[in-house]
Amino acid sequence: MAMLKTVLANLLQPSRTRAPADMPPVPQTYRGALVHDAGRCTACGTCAFVCAPKAISFTQVPGISVSWHFFIGQCSFCGLCEQNCPTHAISLETAVPGVMNNAAGDGLRLESIIALKPCTRCGAAHVPLPESAMGSQWSEEEKGYCPECRRWAASAKLRSAFIPAETATPAASPALEGAGHD
Amino acid sequence: MPYTFPLGPYHPALEEPFKVKVQCQGEVIDSAVVEVGFSFRGIELVAQKRNWVEVITLIERVCGICSNTHAMTFCMAAETIAGIELPRRAAYIRTIIAELERLHSHLLWAGIGAEDIGFHSLFMEVFTLREKVMDTLEAISGNRVNYGMNCIGGVHRDIPDPTVYLPVLDELTRVLNEVVIPTFTQNPTAIARTRGVGPLTREQALEWAVVGPVARASGLDIDVRKDQPYLAYGELGFKSFVQEEGDVFARVVVRALEMLESVRLIREALLSLPAGPLKAVSGLPTIPVGEATIRTEAPRGEAFYYVASEGGNTPARVKIRTPSFVNIPAIEPMVIGQPLADLSIIQASVDPCISCTDR
Ligand code: SF4
Ligand code: SF4
Repeated sequence: MAMLKTVLANLLQPSRTRAPADMPPVPQTYRGALVHDAGRCTACGTCAFVCAPKAISFTQVPGISVSWHFFIGQCSFCGLCEQNCPTHAISLETAVPGVMNNAAGDGLRLESIIALKPCTRCGAAHVPLPESAMGSQWSEEEKGYCPECRRWAASAKLRSAFIPAETATPAASPALEGAGHD
Repeated sequence: MPYTFPLGPYHPALEEPFKVKVQCQGEVIDSAVVEVGFSFRGIELVAQKRNWVEVITLIERVCGICSNTHAMTFCMAAETIAGIELPRRAAYIRTIIAELERLHSHLLWAGIGAEDIGFHSLFMEVFTLREKVMDTLEAISGNRVNYGMNCIGGVHRDIPDPTVYLPVLDELTRVLNEVVIPTFTQNPTAIARTRGVGPLTREQALEWAVVGPVARASGLDIDVRKDQPYLAYGELGFKSFVQEEGDVFARVVVRALEMLESVRLIREALLSLPAGPLKAVSGLPTIPVGEATIRTEAPRGEAFYYVASEGGNTPARVKIRTPSFVNIPAIEPMVIGQPLADLSIIQASVDPCISCTDR
């Protein structure tokens, strides 16, 4: 009898299973498809350092390029690479991640090639820093420097701030110094 | 004639491998031997090879249900070694996630329990309710399991608008009070399959050192949230529920009342969420030489972590004792003298989690 009552009461009720249109919204914090922006990446390796399942790796062609690799079969979607990337080159979108068939073989792989550029001062091939990471303290010319030359230019600036220009010997002026790093 | 009956390791009641080998006289169980270790993963060893950031991702996978508890307890241990004080907002957010996780774990258990006694409509009701908790967890953390909320020194994600989750809590209270609890405690089918089944006396509970809801259903008033308050539990106040009977029915009642208490804790934590930063440290953490032991109350009982650091990139030792690890052996005294048909609900009543037992 009780069962009959339940059946009758439920007869005119809508379905309690959610319809496709009635799905909860995808939260903004959802960690889905991983996107990497080669233009912002400095190949610093932080993302590989924090990635527990080692989904991120690097290869290089010496003097030409550094490649950033991602294999979705190993990714656990923890989001730590996104959170720790200093230049915000990685983001986990709200889109559904691509296929990840198994941990060993097929499945989505991403590769970003970061071309090395010759230093505008010494010519050494290096990973260019993204514009956003440069800040305003570097001149147009200095933006093309390799890390060693930037370090040299920074210390030269510091030196010239302490030693007044009149007393400085010509050799201490950055423009006249040789192309060496030290 | 006595015979031996193996239940598992490919388990009819659970998705995880563990084995209960019972000796029966006709329908009645004489003795039982529990075997675990079919899916050992060696997480404690791997943890020594992962740096302090990676290891949280790893530790979170100790358990598939109470993943947050493990990551949180590990982070608390690392914070203790490094002397980092957790910001209050982070403590409240951790409390909210921990209690939501307890709700979803207990609801999962209630659903599986209902299924084990052949009560499918109750299983459906409970899982519909659990889905609401999962949606809330997803809305806050971005994922349904493995929330990735914890980092050493705080939490990764904020709860920007706490009040939007209050209607879900009202709904949870309503369905728990009107459907789930009355069905489990008043429905003749549910009572017949649970009352007096799988008893564990207070003395046996002490002897087998059970923890969590299993201990509280046998009259032992132990709960880390009350005995040694951590996170926001001291400020929110906490009430533990104890039953004296020690049967499956008592375990149902304890978990049901705990769910209502969890809803209350979440509501109060959401309403009194203090302002402030989410993390005490920025950048990658450095953990000095030291060691720490931390206890927290996971959904299944006390989780214990011992973490040692030698000041390097990786922990020197991570020792994990999970609640199921001590609760599962207690199935042996519970099933003696019980009918074979009740074996399934008795072992389900301790809420065995093989994932964390075989960590
Ligand atoms: S993606 Fe970010 S963290 Fe990874 S190497 Fe590039 S800049 Fe560094
Ligand atoms: S989301 Fe986590 S697992 Fe995936 S690549 Fe990033 S750090 Fe590695």
